[in-house]
Amino acid sequence: MIQGVLSNRIRALRFEHGEMSQGELGQRIGVTRQTIAAIEAGKYSPSLEAAFRIAHVFGVSLGEVFQWDATGG
Amino acid sequence: MTFREKIAWLSLVALGVAYVPYFAVVASGMHDLAPMPNFPLLVLLAAVSALRLAILGGGWLLLRNRAPEDARVPPDERDTAIAQRAMASAYYVLTAGMILVGCIMPFTEGAWKIVNSAIFMLVIAETVQHAVVAVSYRRQA
Repeated sequence: MIQGVLSNRIRALRFEHGEMSQGELGQRIGVTRQTIAAIEAGKYSPSLEAAFRIAHVFGVSLGEVFQWDATGG
Repeated sequence: MTFREKIAWLSLVALGVAYVPYFAVVASGMHDLAPMPNFPLLVLLAAVSALRLAILGGGWLLLRNRAPEDARVPPDERDTAIAQRAMASAYYVLTAGMILVGCIMPFTEGAWKIVNSAIFMLVIAETVQHAVVAVSYRRQA
């Protein structure tokens, strides 16, 4: 199986959107502030639907929010 | 700390406060001297179970009153994933315990030892469930 590392730019995108808080982003996509914090920290991988919702809130494509770098395989 | 994590810690405390003393009495062997059906041990089990429910109920009310908004938040996908992971872990522990208690111990042990072992495995499975929830929230998993 191909191994990889998932990263994201949510923190930067929040900053670019008027320092949107984790709580506000969470409210808009239907998850808790703690879940946004876990996603930002790379500790929790959101569902595809939640990922699309996050991208939609920032008005960008999914690839501009989440990146996946293959590390082998 | 989320409301669900607080409830998980509360559940662990309630399990510990209620069942550690019970199993200490069971392990001491004092109840072995009582005649069957051993009402003192049944009364003790009922008392610790009631104590556990009281801690859970009181603690839940206290936590809800301190942060009513947090208590009202419905579970999101991460909460659901954590709950499913915890249930799966507890299920495996319970299955292993019930195989031991229901399929092996009847051939070697007495009735009360089997009963108490079954209760012990239930408590262990519940402990695993709440511990997985608490640790998952702690680690942001």
